[in-house]
Amino acid sequence: MNRDWNSPVMTRQLARRHAAERRFRFFGLAAIVLSLSFLFLLLFIMLKNGLSGLDWSFLTGSDSTDPATAGVWGAVKGSLLMMLVTLALSFPMGVLAAVYLEEFAPRNRWIDLVEVSINNLAAVPSIIFGLLGLAVFINTMQLPRSSPLVGGLTLALMTMPVIVISGRNAIKAVPPSIRDAALAVGASPVQTVFQHVVPLAMPGIMTGTIIGMARALGETAPLLMIGMRAFVATPPDSITAPASVLPMQIFLWSDEINAGFVQNTSAAIIVLLVFLLTMNGLAIYLRNKFEVSW
Amino acid sequence: MISTAFLIAIAALGLIAWFTARAKAKLFVSDGIGTYSRPHYHGWHLALWVVIPALLIWLVWQAISPQFVMAAITSLPIAEQLPASDFERQTLLSEAWRLASDPNAGSFYPLAQELAGPIAAAQSRYAIIGALIALIAAFTGGAYGYSRLRAGFPARTRIERGVMLVLLLASLLAILTTFGIIASLVYETALFFQKVSPVDFLTGTHWSPGTAIGDDIGKNFGAIPLFWGTIYIGVIIAMIVAIPLGLMSAIFLTQYASQRVRRWIKPMLEILAGVPTVVYGYFAALTVAPFIRDLAASLGKTNPSTESALAAGLVMGIMIIPFVSSMADDSIAAVPRSMADGSLAMGATKSETIKRVLIPAALPGIVAGVMLAISRAIGETMIVVMAAGAAANLTLDPLDSMTTVTFQIVQLLTGDQEFDSPKTLSAFALGLILFIVTLVLNIVALRVVKRFREAYE
Repeated sequence: MNRDWNSPVMTRQLARRHAAERRFRFFGLAAIVLSLSFLFLLLFIMLKNGLSGLDWSFLTGSDSTDPATAGVWGAVKGSLLMMLVTLALSFPMGVLAAVYLEEFAPRNRWIDLVEVSINNLAAVPSIIFGLLGLAVFINTMQLPRSSPLVGGLTLALMTMPVIVISGRNAIKAVPPSIRDAALAVGASPVQTVFQHVVPLAMPGIMTGTIIGMARALGETAPLLMIGMRAFVATPPDSITAPASVLPMQIFLWSDEINAGFVQNTSAAIIVLLVFLLTMNGLAIYLRNKFEVSW
Repeated sequence: MISTAFLIAIAALGLIAWFTARAKAKLFVSDGIGTYSRPHYHGWHLALWVVIPALLIWLVWQAISPQFVMAAITSLPIAEQLPASDFERQTLLSEAWRLASDPNAGSFYPLAQELAGPIAAAQSRYAIIGALIALIAAFTGGAYGYSRLRAGFPARTRIERGVMLVLLLASLLAILTTFGIIASLVYETALFFQKVSPVDFLTGTHWSPGTAIGDDIGKNFGAIPLFWGTIYIGVIIAMIVAIPLGLMSAIFLTQYASQRVRRWIKPMLEILAGVPTVVYGYFAALTVAPFIRDLAASLGKTNPSTESALAAGLVMGIMIIPFVSSMADDSIAAVPRSMADGSLAMGATKSETIKRVLIPAALPGIVAGVMLAISRAIGETMIVVMAAGAAANLTLDPLDSMTTVTFQIVQLLTGDQEFDSPKTLSAFALGLILFIVTLVLNIVALRVVKRFREAYE
């Protein structure tokens, strides 16, 4: 080609293209910096407002109308009870469904329908699950309102698809050689799955479960629907007693006119974020520790 | 009390059955005959034959025994004093029922106190009858199972068939949930559309359910302002924030960042996705909304409201950035390396390759990611509840307060309402529309991604 790369025209063009390249790279970096700076701004404001309110009496006290004496223990206990119910219901259902869909299910239209259902349920807005909980658990089955039982049932329905999807991925990752070896030694398909495949897939399943639980811990909208909007003065003593949960407590305190509650709300947010960070950190640690590259 | 005793008895019977059958199977093994399945499978087989019939009968009994108790009570002479009106009768009876299980609960009707005693007695009578029937079933089942026990009996196959049934039932729970959601939403919406016409609902522009009394209530349930608010906040403002930031973040991470930077930055973006929405809502209400309000005042707007669509949309956009970013990341990474290499080999700069080759190639995946992000944004509740308002406004001004579908669902259903009033039913109608829209968005997005992946494999 008879193009002179050193002519002024070409040099200018190249300079323009290189400048465009630098600008583009700058915009990319700016996008990331901007996004992360929003996150840091949020954390900074919460810490600034709430860190001074985090003392032992705050962590062990119950809710009250006076901001100086209000604490989060009632909400934390309610959250723990509800998490227990959610875990007890969604983990077995989710793992068993994942095992069936991945190992035993035949390839026909009904199973396709089940798979589509699960994938869609994982993306349905959480408030719809609240509507379902209101219509079925409270009105039809007459379970006690605002109890960890109903909250746990509703959130279990919401968490199960997440566990199924991550469980399926974990089971899919176990190589076929494991299954073939077990079958070759004389195990039945059920024995192969439950005694060889599932134990090997368990770290992945646990990671997915912990992440699903962390999501359920932060949910507020479905619990608003089942009536957890009330002021609860004492921690719940059973799963059928009226209770509040930590994100709901944050929501209720944010509505208060008294400016003294700003500190409480921010401190409660810090507590919630610490819980979530711990759970996610645990999930990542488990994944890194037990991940086997086949 | 009786229930716990019964359940413990059944558990004990099951345990005995397990040990007995296993011992008998072990005899076969030690005699030299050998068994088709290992002895503990025989144990499980007999235990299940004992426990399952008993539990089934007990569950059915729990469902039908209240009717027996009710029949017994209404045949008593005291029942003559029950009020004739249905509503009062129901309240009195339900209060008596409550008192029967918890004698210390508060009560309004003295008659309820009197009825509580006979109710409790009848309940325990029928509970004992039910427990006895279930125990008989347990023994019958056990006898049948024991008679089948011989060396060649394929116990393990039977057990495994049962296990498969349990797995299938667990999977069907997902369909049951979807079906339950659709059924309850459609049922309540149908009740709503009997009181308010669908046309009024979907095309009306005036939303004030609080003043909906009388015959012409259809005029107060026009949902267009809600749809407009949802689209304006969730689709327009949030996407203006999220798409550029998310897309450029993904491009930078995949194309320009070193491995070390990527390993640190990617989890931090995931943290953005993991922060609970109530925290974002509080951040919006505490910091962003006053800032926007001061900004609006300085721009000359008279009497700016604290709850503005811009505040809610901004924070929602920030929350959505990780969704767009991760979907774009996956799509760009799925484009074959050969396309990028070819473009670079022809002399294009990296940004030109991205703009002209990679992005168009990854476009279906990116669009699917945006659709999923939109679906997430319009379903978002807490941010709008805390930062946007309840005023159903149809304006173009982002500094005005607007309301969304999710906010109204929360507003209409919290507080003590009769379950049949048009207000509460309209919440279900809104929920149905929300469900359908997000479902359609998700199905289309996933189908686009699937077809796109196939094109490159």
